[in-house]
Amino acid sequence: MEPSTDQPGTSHSTTNPISDGSGENNGQFECNICLDTAKDAVISYCGHLFCWPCLHQWLETKPNRQECPVCKAGIGKDKVVPLYGRGSTNNQDPREKLPPRPQAQRPEAENRNPGFPGLNFGDGSFQMSFGIGAFPFGFFGTLFNINDGRPRPPPFGGAQYQDEQMLSRVFLWVAVILMFWLFFL
Amino acid sequence: MAGCFVQKRIQKEILTLKNSPPPGMKLCDDSLSSPGQFMVEVKGAEGTLFAGEEFKLLFKFGQSYPFDSPQVTFVGNQIPVHPHVYSNGHICLSILTEDWSPALSAESVCLSIISMLSSCSEKKRPPDNAFYIRTCSKNPKNTKWWFHDDKV
Repeated sequence: MEPSTDQPGTSHSTTNPISDGSGENNGQFECNICLDTAKDAVISYCGHLFCWPCLHQWLETKPNRQECPVCKAGIGKDKVVPLYGRGSTNNQDPREKLPPRPQAQRPEAENRNPGFPGLNFGDGSFQMSFGIGAFPFGFFGTLFNINDGRPRPPPFGGAQYQDEQMLSRVFLWVAVILMFWLFFL
Repeated sequence: MAGCFVQKRIQKEILTLKNSPPPGMKLCDDSLSSPGQFMVEVKGAEGTLFAGEEFKLLFKFGQSYPFDSPQVTFVGNQIPVHPHVYSNGHICLSILTEDWSPALSAESVCLSIISMLSSCSEKKRPPDNAFYIRTCSKNPKNTKWWFHDDKV
């Protein structure tokens, strides 16, 4: 509290919006947060004056504890009253102005890319999944693959048989090297 | 917008402390050189354990002041021996962290601290002082304070 001056006539000067703390307008119409003359003023039900932008920022800071900064009474957007002075040019509700409703959002479009499902380079992040499925069932599936629609193996000793044996060995080694690389490097 | 209004508010608080300081507080003029911080000299209230003693409080204001509390510590050689003041100057006071409100100011923080010193009945350090000063961060606001004693 600043000491009150005994000249009540000076307190309504509007040419001095920034009081310099010398007690000229007693800080009566100063926002309790920025300590400046309240702009877009709102008053809480408990009677405390704020600029709406200041109060809004405070309510954003503590979303789960909305208390009046002065007396800790409950406060919120619906628990303040806008203040319209004679000099104000437009009588728009300050609560509808500055920080209005939450900003509209533009979520990223969902990526329905029909390409390879495991690799997704589209949205800047790289995802890759590697899984071994339900191990025992896959295993049995390969053991008992009767009549699963695959062509019959080529006859023993033919040229195609040789090629396939060779190919199968190459892949075996590739697999072994890959496993080695995975586990030991 | 936020930046200039923060500076303005700090300037206003400095002016108030300079022109009409409440009893027992004095702004240290030589501490005004660096922006965003200043020092206030507080005197222990008469008739209390700290009567006649003087302490220096350093206020540091962050970018989000006054929506976030300032950093307040005792500095200098004189650190009050009080159950809520650590020997490195850190103060365990709820309004400096979770109970902060933007309607508080450097002046009201000083007043709270003088009041905290005044209600002290025995000059002693907090029980965990040695451990705390060894492990704490430089900024007391990084400490997770546990406020339990509302008598002192």
